[in-house]
Amino acid sequence: MNESIDWDELIQKHIDGLTSEAEAESLSDEIVGNPEVRARYLKATQIHGALTEEASLMELEGEVDEPTESSVRTGAIHRMGWPQQLAAALVGGAFFGIIGVGVAWAVGSPKSEARALPVANGNFESFVGKTKIGFPKIFGEWSGDPAEVIKRPDGTQLLRFLETANVTGKPNGGAAACNLFQLVDLSSLQQEWATDDIDTRVTLELSATFLREAAPTDKKTARSKATCTIQLYQAPPESIGQKWPNVIADALAVGNRRLLLKPNGESETISASCILDPDANLALISVNVNAMTASTTPTRLGGWYADDVKLTLIKQPTLPVRFVK
Amino acid sequence: MASPDQNDNHERFTRLLLESEPVMLRSILVAVPNLADAREIMQETAVALWRQFESYDPQRPFTNWAMGFSRIETRRFLARSQRRAQLNVKAIEVLEQEMEGNDDFAQVLERHLATCLGKLTDKQRRLVQGYYHENRSPQWLSEREGRTVEAVYKAIQRARRDLQTCIERQMRKEFS
Repeated sequence: MNESIDWDELIQKHIDGLTSEAEAESLSDEIVGNPEVRARYLKATQIHGALTEEASLMELEGEVDEPTESSVRTGAIHRMGWPQQLAAALVGGAFFGIIGVGVAWAVGSPKSEARALPVANGNFESFVGKTKIGFPKIFGEWSGDPAEVIKRPDGTQLLRFLETANVTGKPNGGAAACNLFQLVDLSSLQQEWATDDIDTRVTLELSATFLREAAPTDKKTARSKATCTIQLYQAPPESIGQKWPNVIADALAVGNRRLLLKPNGESETISASCILDPDANLALISVNVNAMTASTTPTRLGGWYADDVKLTLIKQPTLPVRFVK
Repeated sequence: MASPDQNDNHERFTRLLLESEPVMLRSILVAVPNLADAREIMQETAVALWRQFESYDPQRPFTNWAMGFSRIETRRFLARSQRRAQLNVKAIEVLEQEMEGNDDFAQVLERHLATCLGKLTDKQRRLVQGYYHENRSPQWLSEREGRTVEAVYKAIQRARRDLQTCIERQMRKEFS
């Protein structure tokens, strides 16, 4: 082993594509012959890989021209009504005003504006029991794979993911995830918020809080993950389910965020963003738990819950989002 | 027009590929760290997988089956790529063997990355955010930060090393 070389430094250079042929060859030899360098190379590239996934970085929002509310918050699931949100915005030094059905406020930058969009029963308070099965055909209802809204002893209500399924009902289709979907009508926003200003971006941010309690199925679902996803389409609402999942290829924009939770850990709120394409007339939002198996048979999910699904429209100078078109 | 069977197959394939893609991409990035190169390999792998999907045995885990293809496509890429200096095939084989059945670090990483990102300095976080999430070039970041390109690279590399140290510390805590 060449003791004069800082292998960690060379590994980092290689990750950024800055090594010469000779350095890459030298690093290759060391990886083959030195288990310690091999292990360090694997760890370094795994971190690099995790950072390239959008899911790893959303918690950094707030650092660069962002609303001050973090995209990832840890703590017990709690509800905050609009009056409290307004109060929180005021405490944060924001200004606000009533616009349409929502409330607009600016945080951090005078150019930033955010407005809540209505998600039907986003806090799962309007009923208790099983949710609808199958893909939603109309705006404003939760529907998808087997799930139920439960009432806890303290009176709060949560969505519980029951088992994975194939939402299209096809017998041999994949059944890796339990998905709950809702179609949100964006047609009224198109003219109001569409912008050709290249310095301004209008984005939609979907956030949801997830909680995982211990359950007998935990061993089988050890690698399960929760995800919230937002997809924008220019299409009639009933057509999305008819073409699901191949319709994803027609999405104007997609944003998603994944979360791994330990049983009985604290709840976490995650958010996914995408640019509001002016052609989009609907958003398909979903919360799901993926058992991370390639199974075609249902998997019981045990203790996965979701709550407080919110959709926010944000107009601001810059926002790190991924845009698929 | 595609037959119903073809549509079913396409749907199954899409689902399986979407589920496996993150694992495959991470694995490709070990051999070929440049993200654009890795995505190119991923794309070629997806095409190869679709061509051979008829031969896929659904009783077997799709990811395991697909990883064989991604390894072949990675080799093909390395054989034709002249863009950057790459590891040699022997080193990549050794790394692939080491990765198999050893995902302790990956799991700890997944659980603690957010926490460790929170421990970076504001400057480091800004650079990591710009480099990875906003896909900004080091040149662009150097202008924004008022630093040289070399200093930006160094700072990003330092941030990744700090993250590694932090994750290793968490790992020691979990496994002690």
